[in-house]
Amino acid sequence: MAETKHVEVDLEDIEKICEEFENREGAVVQVLQKVQEKYGYVPGEALELVGEVLEIPKSKMYGVLTFYSQFYQEPRGKFILKVCVGTACHVRGAGLLVDKVREELHIEPGENTEDMLFTLEPVACLGSCALAPMAMVSGTAYGKLSADKMVSLIRQLEEETVHEEETV
Amino acid sequence: MLTEALEDISVASSKVTDLPVIHIGMATCGLASGARPLLELIRKEVEKRQLNLRIIPTGCIGMCHNEPLVDVTMPGRYRVSYRNVKAMTLTQIFDAHFSKNDFAKKYATCQIPVEGAEPYEGLTLMADLPFFKGQVKIVTKRCGMIDPLSIADYVAMDGYKALRKVLTSMTPEQVVDEVTKSGLRGRGGGGFPTGLKWALTQKSPGPEKYVVCNADEGDPGAFMDRSVLEGDPHAVLEGMIIAAFAVGHAKQGYIYCRAEYPLAIKHLRKAIDDARAHNFLGENILGTDMSFDIEIKEGAGAYVCGEETALLASLMGERGMPWPKPPFPAQKGVWGKPSVINNVETLGNIGHILLNGGEWYASYGSEKTKGTKTFALTGSVKNSGLIEVPAGTPLREIIFSIGGGMVEKKIPFKAAQLGGPSGGCIPVDGLDTPVDFENVVAAGAIMGSGGIVVMDEAACIVDTAKFFLKFTQDESCGECTPCRVGSKIMLDILTRITDGKGQEGDLDELVRLSMYVKSNSLCGLGGAAPNPVLSTIRYFREEYEAHIRDKRCPGTVCNELIKYVVIEEDCTTCGLCEPVCPSGSVTWEKGEVAHIDLTTCIRCKACVDACKFRAII
Repeated sequence: MAETKHVEVDLEDIEKICEEFENREGAVVQVLQKVQEKYGYVPGEALELVGEVLEIPKSKMYGVLTFYSQFYQEPRGKFILKVCVGTACHVRGAGLLVDKVREELHIEPGENTEDMLFTLEPVACLGSCALAPMAMVSGTAYGKLSADKMVSLIRQLEEETVHEEETV
Repeated sequence: MLTEALEDISVASSKVTDLPVIHIGMATCGLASGARPLLELIRKEVEKRQLNLRIIPTGCIGMCHNEPLVDVTMPGRYRVSYRNVKAMTLTQIFDAHFSKNDFAKKYATCQIPVEGAEPYEGLTLMADLPFFKGQVKIVTKRCGMIDPLSIADYVAMDGYKALRKVLTSMTPEQVVDEVTKSGLRGRGGGGFPTGLKWALTQKSPGPEKYVVCNADEGDPGAFMDRSVLEGDPHAVLEGMIIAAFAVGHAKQGYIYCRAEYPLAIKHLRKAIDDARAHNFLGENILGTDMSFDIEIKEGAGAYVCGEETALLASLMGERGMPWPKPPFPAQKGVWGKPSVINNVETLGNIGHILLNGGEWYASYGSEKTKGTKTFALTGSVKNSGLIEVPAGTPLREIIFSIGGGMVEKKIPFKAAQLGGPSGGCIPVDGLDTPVDFENVVAAGAIMGSGGIVVMDEAACIVDTAKFFLKFTQDESCGECTPCRVGSKIMLDILTRITDGKGQEGDLDELVRLSMYVKSNSLCGLGGAAPNPVLSTIRYFREEYEAHIRDKRCPGTVCNELIKYVVIEEDCTTCGLCEPVCPSGSVTWEKGEVAHIDLTTCIRCKACVDACKFRAII
């Protein structure tokens, strides 16, 4: 797994986000969601600042953060490979998809590739069971996958990135 | 004002139109099947042919196995539905409709009646397709038929009519009575009578009350609520506004939706904006003294938040842990005030019930479960998708008539898993079980929120039980010991069994622990966690014993227990299996029977799939 480099957090940004929700204590989950949207994860510094603004003790902030599986304390890859491992996908071979990604990118579930391009994230159910096995990347759903199709998808995303970098 | 708001936006969507209309299924299942590039192709084709027509993206009509679906409605004719549409077929569909004044016979699935229009000859009506024949669509009536982003489409199909009726001619007590008469019970799986829930909240003292919509559909294998939210979001809003009126002028509503449903959230946001713009939400709704607004709260990935008290805790910015009842949410809910919490499908039914009457709704269904129920039919079944049937429809009819039977003709039905992680498996002998709250419980499962996963003989029952227990174990919030520790020990035993290290007495221990976890857990999650294990031991004890005593997995799923061998008599010495083996474990010489080295075999099944003669098992 790659060494993680943390981002710099700006107090003003945090205050702005909290204000959007009128500094309400009850909106802490939504505030953290906004923070994550901005930074891609919830940096430790941001967590503390939110606590200070909303006047919530650190222990409680940490408790909320760690309770929900969608909050991340470490930076994550550009593409999150959400491989569905729900019931219908499970009986149609979702395990093979996960294995293929592990083998192809040398990462375990929850880890990032060294170049920070991919993160493997098995998820419980994406609700498109009729198209099992399926995966979702950047909000786009891919149905009726196979191990081979998974690999082509990874290659395609890699190529797109290279192409983007060239044009920049 | 009241009628103006309704007449203002009267666009006839299901009536005869002057322009041709193309509907394309753009719900999550459609998008995953390539509906987006297809929409681009349709646009290009329209441009190329210089056609003047309306393109309407719709929600899910239920035939997920046939996505992407494209419908063409010519002026004055019935709507023709095409399935699995690809670039190639698209040209032919356009040719048929726009050049030959006909339909593309080769690709058409069915036609859907349009009021006052002419049918085509030689094409089945949608209602006559086996998939739709046994279905009664109430809550999913508009899904796939209207543009979910258009409030005009919703209003054209009787939308907000029930709200107008309620606000102008009924008292809150009458609304509650009508819902009670309908016999509607909580569709999220709990089955608590909705009318009673509303009455309790109504009777709770205090001017401040809340309405909460539970859209945290977390059961793996279930997507009924997603389909309704994506395909008919206004129906849920209308249900909530009526609920707010009925419980005594609640001012604020919340929709708690899981973040895994980005499209549903997008559609809800648009629906709320439009409803506000047309004064169905906000101050003085439709000119009356009622004010009500709705806020969306996105979940953050915790299955237990589908439990109502955990949901409320999460809604208020806490860790989503359940609290022991009483107090019930009807007494102390959001911010400590009386709150009514209903599931998406329950709320989706409300408008239809108030428009057509409680008795009408109660005329469907079985003795104790009235009305219809939606199910997400998936797994090894031919027609997987979203269906809605009268409660009490036998499981056999759901799987074999509507579902079209097994996907692989040669592999027979083994069991159906109902109710997700809180449910259980029903075997062949239970196929005639009427699917309603009471009968499914008697058969050892639960109707739950409506997930039905069909399994064939190639599935492993022990593995399935392990799958569900692993899920609940992961999602256990850790508050109470029976659930947190009990489910972990049970999972360890199941893992041991599937790894080929099962011992005599393991089954008795599993049953003992199950009873303990069931009776001592704090909330429904722990209380139901052992169900998948108990129901499978009840019906498939032999399969467990095969794993434990013979170290054999009859479904060939459990990796550690699989030993692939080549059957000499069936092997044609073709050699197809050799090159596909990734670990080099298959050896083969021309004219010789292949051989598999089990010490290096990784059980990937590539050779089994490659063999055309079923000579490797």
